[in-house]
Amino acid sequence: MRVAVIGAGVIGLSTAQSIYEQYHSTVSQLTIEVYADQFTPLTTSDGAAGLWQPYLHANGNIQEIQWNKETFDYLLSFLNSPESIKMGIFLQSGYNLCTEAAAEPSFKDIVLGFRELTERELQIFPGYNHGWFNTAIMLEGKTYLPWLMDWLHKRGVKFYQRKIKSFKELAETGVDVIMNCTGMRSGELQPDPELKPARGQIVKVDAPWIKHWILTHHMKPEFYDSPYIIPGSRHVTVGGTFQIGNWNNQSESTDHKNIWEGACQLCPSLKHARIIEDWTGLRPTRDKVRLERETIQTGATTVEVIHNYGHGGFGLTIHRGCAQEAARLFGQLVKQKGIGPKAHL
Amino acid sequence: MKQVRVVVVGAGVIGLSTAVCIAEALPMCSVTLVADKFSPDTTSDVAAGYFFPSEFPDIPLERQKRWIKDSFDHLLAIAHSEDAPDAGVMLTSGWQIFKEVPANQKPFWSDYVMGFRFMTEAELKRFQDHKFGQAFTTLKCECSSYLPWMENRLRKAGGIMECRKINNLEELNYDIIINCSGLGSKMLVGDDEIYPVRGQVLKVEAPWLKTFVMSRDDFTYILPGIHSATVGGTRQQNDWRLKADQNDTKDILERCSELVPSLKRAKVVSQQTGLRPSRRNPRVERETVELQGRRVPVMHNYGHGGWGVTIAWGTSVDVLGLVRQCVREIQLQAKL
Repeated sequence: MRVAVIGAGVIGLSTAQSIYEQYHSTVSQLTIEVYADQFTPLTTSDGAAGLWQPYLHANGNIQEIQWNKETFDYLLSFLNSPESIKMGIFLQSGYNLCTEAAAEPSFKDIVLGFRELTERELQIFPGYNHGWFNTAIMLEGKTYLPWLMDWLHKRGVKFYQRKIKSFKELAETGVDVIMNCTGMRSGELQPDPELKPARGQIVKVDAPWIKHWILTHHMKPEFYDSPYIIPGSRHVTVGGTFQIGNWNNQSESTDHKNIWEGACQLCPSLKHARIIEDWTGLRPTRDKVRLERETIQTGATTVEVIHNYGHGGFGLTIHRGCAQEAARLFGQLVKQKGIGPKAHL
Repeated sequence: MKQVRVVVVGAGVIGLSTAVCIAEALPMCSVTLVADKFSPDTTSDVAAGYFFPSEFPDIPLERQKRWIKDSFDHLLAIAHSEDAPDAGVMLTSGWQIFKEVPANQKPFWSDYVMGFRFMTEAELKRFQDHKFGQAFTTLKCECSSYLPWMENRLRKAGGIMECRKINNLEELNYDIIINCSGLGSKMLVGDDEIYPVRGQVLKVEAPWLKTFVMSRDDFTYILPGIHSATVGGTRQQNDWRLKADQNDTKDILERCSELVPSLKRAKVVSQQTGLRPSRRNPRVERETVELQGRRVPVMHNYGHGGWGVTIAWGTSVDVLGLVRQCVREIQLQAKL
């Protein structure tokens, strides 16, 4: 059984991992191949700050909430192992600041020590009159992705740097199942009007005295359009923008100026921090994640595709839950096709 | 009106805080800071500088609360300003954990740090053998940056610094003497109640550590800082050794790695030792001493043990009040 994963961001790599974990011992001759035109450190996942946090106003999508929780618990389980550093996992506490009272977010029972901000804490952040504090997990793509690739490589997964132009292309080589983890550019393989870019520009700075993440919410429909500051293991990520429909993956000086001014107002200690560089990524945004099977007829060939894309600005946050679900869908396929220790082809 | 000549003895966090406090508030005073050791060679430089108050047995609670509140407000304002990186002051959150549930679960100073609450089950799960804990946000003040920053502040306020060892108060010819000589007070003013409590720490490179862990019962702590984390600790009473002890190093690493396993991957950058100037209570009070035939007011501000950074500013403000009173008396005298 040949499985081809298209996409080597956090979604593609973790999907390959889940499939291997769950089926390598039960599916005969399972080979997993990963195809991508960009690998770490050039993927969208690499540029993300890496804070585990779902959107503040999740549109009540219970399944996504469950996948988020599964991911958090999974990452938490590694915390007490020294391996956690190699995976890019660590704890960090911080503030969610709102300009007006808001409903408690879906993650309040998932993260550690979730509580409301006290008066004294709000006084530190003028302009914000409500908010929460909690301890969350950081997962840095720049470390996690190489770790995943190494994990997969050790288990015989093959990587191919190549842009796949169609599902047919892979089907014709005899691939049985395609895991479509192509994120922002899924539309190139199959048009999807629901998938839109939400452009995020960030400024990376050297400010090691900042030990909390600070996210502001100006209660517009857009998230991450207001200032945020997220320290990482090496530098601090300062944002943000959330420009829906903007495909420009170059950083712009107007955005830089707005981001920087907003951040310095939020956190005056940033003023003299050394700016390293700007980076821009396109969040593969969709009303809900596309995680489903599809049988695709391409001329004479039929190929099974499992889609796993559209994770917006919460790919790292939800990746494990989705990967496990994608693997479960793969398992369904395997059962239907009668492949496994009992089947002899 | 003639300038009132003030001398501060000691250039650790207490001496510098007191000197700056006086120089900035009292323009009629000239302030000279005299010490044999300046940063980076003071006890304060070794300290992690975490704001963790304690309760002293014999000082009125209201006075201790003032020390704590004044200190916290002072440092918080710096943490949230452009000066934070230069001054080495930052906000920090984490957990104080206990193997046995303590008698006093909510100490009086819990109102002065931020967001104080008890830890949840889920939070405690990470720490084997620990049954209770407190979570809060506090401040760190890294003296290797803070002291030079305060030295600048002192200069800007017209203060002067002199590197000189004072063996006897008789050597000082000033109107007011402020004694911030820490452990040196044993010799300088003959205080037998002060004694060293040796503390060894390791500075490690672990930039992924963003939260602090302080295990009270066996005094094990991991305290992230700006460029390194301070891990420790030891509390060896009456131990004057300033050299690092390899057994202590091994023991510290073992205890800390048990609490925070990722430390096993951290690089040890240095080992440092400091002698906490310990006393049953800090001595913050005025005394009149006969020197060279004159009656000279001496303000004491020493014996802060392991809480020097924590209450430096608050005790300095306290001393400022005493100095103001002295200045009034001196100026009154001058009129007569």
